[in-house]
Amino acid sequence: MKRCAILAATALALQAGPARAELFYLIVGGLGGNPGYVERFAGDAADMAVAAERTLGSAERVRVLVGDNATRDALREALAELATAASAADRLAVFLIGHGSYDGTAYKFNLEGEDIDGAELSELLAAVPAQSQLLVNMTSASGSVLEEWAAAEGRAVITATRSGAERNATRFAEHWATALSAEDADMNKNGSISAREAFDYTARLVADSFETEGTLATEHPQLRGEAAGAFEVSRLTARVALTPEVDALNARLAGLEEQVAALRTRREELGDDYLPQLQALLVELALVQEQIDEATAE
Amino acid sequence: MQRAFFCLVAALLAVLAAPAARAYDIDYADDRPEALRACDESLFRGQRAESARCFAALLGADPDPRIRAEASWALGNVVTANEYFQEAFDTYPDDPRLRVRWGKLFQATFADTESQVLPLYREALALDPSYVPGILALAEVAAGRFEGRAREWVDEVLDLDDEAIGAHLLLARMELEVTNLEAAEASLDRALQLIEAKDHPPLEVYALRASVDLLRDVFESPWIARALEYNPSYGNAYAIPAHFFVITRRYREAIDFYQRAVELQPDLYTAHTELGVNLLRENRIDEAFSHLVTAYEGEGGYSSDKTVNTLRLIDSFENFTVEFFASETEPRGGGEGVILRLHQDQTEILTPYVLELINDSIVTFSERYAFEPAEPVIAELYPVAADFSVRTAGLPGIGLLGVTFGYLVAMNSPPPGLTGDFHWGTTLWHEIAHVFTLEATNHLVPRWFSEGVSVYEEWSSGPLPGRHIPIHVLQAMAEDKFLPIAELDEGFIRPTYENQVIVSYMQAGLICQYLASGFGQEALVTMLERFREGDDTAAAIVAATGIAPAEFDRRFAEHIEAELGTVLANLEPWTSAQMELQQHAQAAEWENVSAVAERAIELHPGYVEDGSPYLFLSNAQRELGDETAARETLLRYWQLGGYNPAALTRLSQWLTSAGDTENAIAVLEALVLVSPLDESVHSALGDLLLESRPADALVEFSVLAALNPHDQASINLRLARAYQALGDIDKATEYLLYALEIAPNYREAQQLLLEIVR
Repeated sequence: MKRCAILAATALALQAGPARAELFYLIVGGLGGNPGYVERFAGDAADMAVAAERTLGSAERVRVLVGDNATRDALREALAELATAASAADRLAVFLIGHGSYDGTAYKFNLEGEDIDGAELSELLAAVPAQSQLLVNMTSASGSVLEEWAAAEGRAVITATRSGAERNATRFAEHWATALSAEDADMNKNGSISAREAFDYTARLVADSFETEGTLATEHPQLRGEAAGAFEVSRLTARVALTPEVDALNARLAGLEEQVAALRTRREELGDDYLPQLQALLVELALVQEQIDEATAE
Repeated sequence: MQRAFFCLVAALLAVLAAPAARAYDIDYADDRPEALRACDESLFRGQRAESARCFAALLGADPDPRIRAEASWALGNVVTANEYFQEAFDTYPDDPRLRVRWGKLFQATFADTESQVLPLYREALALDPSYVPGILALAEVAAGRFEGRAREWVDEVLDLDDEAIGAHLLLARMELEVTNLEAAEASLDRALQLIEAKDHPPLEVYALRASVDLLRDVFESPWIARALEYNPSYGNAYAIPAHFFVITRRYREAIDFYQRAVELQPDLYTAHTELGVNLLRENRIDEAFSHLVTAYEGEGGYSSDKTVNTLRLIDSFENFTVEFFASETEPRGGGEGVILRLHQDQTEILTPYVLELINDSIVTFSERYAFEPAEPVIAELYPVAADFSVRTAGLPGIGLLGVTFGYLVAMNSPPPGLTGDFHWGTTLWHEIAHVFTLEATNHLVPRWFSEGVSVYEEWSSGPLPGRHIPIHVLQAMAEDKFLPIAELDEGFIRPTYENQVIVSYMQAGLICQYLASGFGQEALVTMLERFREGDDTAAAIVAATGIAPAEFDRRFAEHIEAELGTVLANLEPWTSAQMELQQHAQAAEWENVSAVAERAIELHPGYVEDGSPYLFLSNAQRELGDETAARETLLRYWQLGGYNPAALTRLSQWLTSAGDTENAIAVLEALVLVSPLDESVHSALGDLLLESRPADALVEFSVLAALNPHDQASINLRLARAYQALGDIDKATEYLLYALEIAPNYREAQQLLLEIVR
């Protein structure tokens, strides 16, 4: 929790800078196999695309491949384009929805026509220069690529299953789509949902759904990579134009947040003094936030 | 802590223990070898040393493995007995008796009935289809499971051999179980006559005669004295009658008898198990544990599932909280207060609702039945259904929702999430009504009346409005399957067709409703008084109504015709309409769905169970764009007692949007009695209550916090708002700080904090 707060504060500070890195989304709804899954995968992809567009303020850098368009060639082409378009400072979020398989050696993502295997996907993703990457593989057996994909520096990887042995059709994607637009997924209430927050929320919904049914869970979502805490995967509110005044206030806000985070580490040591000191900081922080709101409302 | 180590210790003991004395019941079969019968005399006279010498001599001298198997068994060496039976099986492949006796050994060592016991009996009958002990063995298994076909098999046996002693004894047991005492006596007279003529031990007859006396409230039966005169250490002289105390729910008397049984015969381990299970029903956990451990250790590695499961259940009690609530504490109840045993993960969540419901029910029933509980009412809720089953019967998978042992009620916890699997509030209400009918009659109430009052109270005073009668029960009613009132207990104890128990529940409920409406609530009170005095159903009905049972049945039938005749006559067209509805809904033909649903509602307006036409109609109205009509339909559905959680959630949202806060709150409060473990119910209810009933909002938010929701910042803000509304600014500030500690940028919390400090 402590780390989460610090990273969130860092993320806010970075966003306040003049040259913001671009974020690219690639959303792929794989082969359904039957009308029910076809509809479900397309619906999940569409919901994720809505969240992505809301986050970016446009559909410009949101690429969606579903149904007949989700072929191996199309996916290769999309990743090749990203390899050209994205710079090292940019960020990339890839969402893979659908069925996957693992034969004990190789993972395959089921696509219209020929499937694509995990190793090839790994190579294609490595070719995208964006150093901050979030890969969310929501397919069955996705856990088989977890460690390999997460080995790259700066990358956060989320899988719907913990291994290649969890082969049942997953329910992760539906809940991930919900998480990207859920206010209660935003644990720190900063108006944005980090990959970590979305993962925590989704994992809980997945577990609850099995518990409610009274059935054994057939998928156990996993997350690897420290970067997930700082990777903003969805914004709940629109971005506001920044001015020097707001920049200065944001910097002050970030400083106060760091003080709150530091104070929290001393909770036990401070005993009864903790809450009064926390209150003083939080009141100040609220006042600064109020000023930011006033400045940006104009 | 000592109990937590039970499994380990017990397992060790099981390995070390020498073969223990094993139940060796009297074998009345005419083909029992003379060599064994010579030893039986001393065995069943309680002359243990002499019988051991006799059987040991047989074991050493008789070359027949069947005899050796029996001798080993009588000596308590069940493993050796099994080996001899196996040897005999190879040597005498065509002997049906061998198979029946081997099956009996398996039964005595609690082997699996389906896979180990019954196949042997069936093999015996395959060798000789008219082999009486084989048919009788099947009948005994069926009777033990309370299956109706037990009687058919007994009749078959008696057709083949009217002198089959075991058949007369089994018949007597079955008659006793439904309290047909005269019929039981006639069977026992015949059995005794045959026993004397064939020179078998009369012990079982004596014990069953004592059971007859006991069911007539003669506790110090001369038959027990006769049994003990025959065999001074015959524990079953008490244990057999105790069984009839248990099935008539007189657990305290059963405990007394089982205690006497084990005092007389300390190695009667089945009695130790039963004693343990019944002590548990009286909440005497330490004593129960002690007797169950005695049974487990004594049974030397061949313990019954009942013993093992119940011990495991007691082990699991360390995960439960136990709290006493005096009747004077808020919310106030009557009687001597309430004790709740709830799983530690659910204590904070369920306590407010369970306590309020129990207190309400105690106040309601005390007034309606002129009886005040003399002890605290104990309620246990089990999140794991198998644990509840074990609590009830010692075995998993019994398929009940709740059970009452007197002042102690045990039931399943509500399921997680927004599921409508069962209305736990109604189940609890039903069970607390049993506390009253059982305790007001000193447990002498017949099953039908206790169930009838509970069902009637569900309908008339319970948390769910309306009379809920499943369709299959209406179909049974249309087929005239109701039983005469004097025989209604049979429908519970030995059902003869699928679902007869449910049909009997509903008939009993309707009878009690008729008694109250036709003869006044005091008629129900009079019935309880008469049962307490020992009257049977016929006498109680005469006392309460002034008419004979046959006349009562006639008038009740007229009443049903007047009340439900139209619904019964409409069943067929209603069923067709329901099928049509499914088809139209699947095809998304909403105009048709709407028209057919309205027709179905007209045919049976009170149907709000699964597949209710109100739900179809509301969906169709929504699809057709008329949300107001859809909302009104769901409102009617809820007012009639519908409780589908998804429908009620939708209704509460619509009502909230429409500004009908009062009804939205009422709907959400109803939803808590179905799905209390769902977070969304408490957050929505708390939000709505915040303005008008902040103290109740605080309860909802506290429950929400106990559910450990994902969004901790938000729940802390809600708690802060509730405290602020209650004027407790210090607490409000504290919770605001908790919210902002998690989420420093939480605008709403920041604003409230500034509002408070400014």
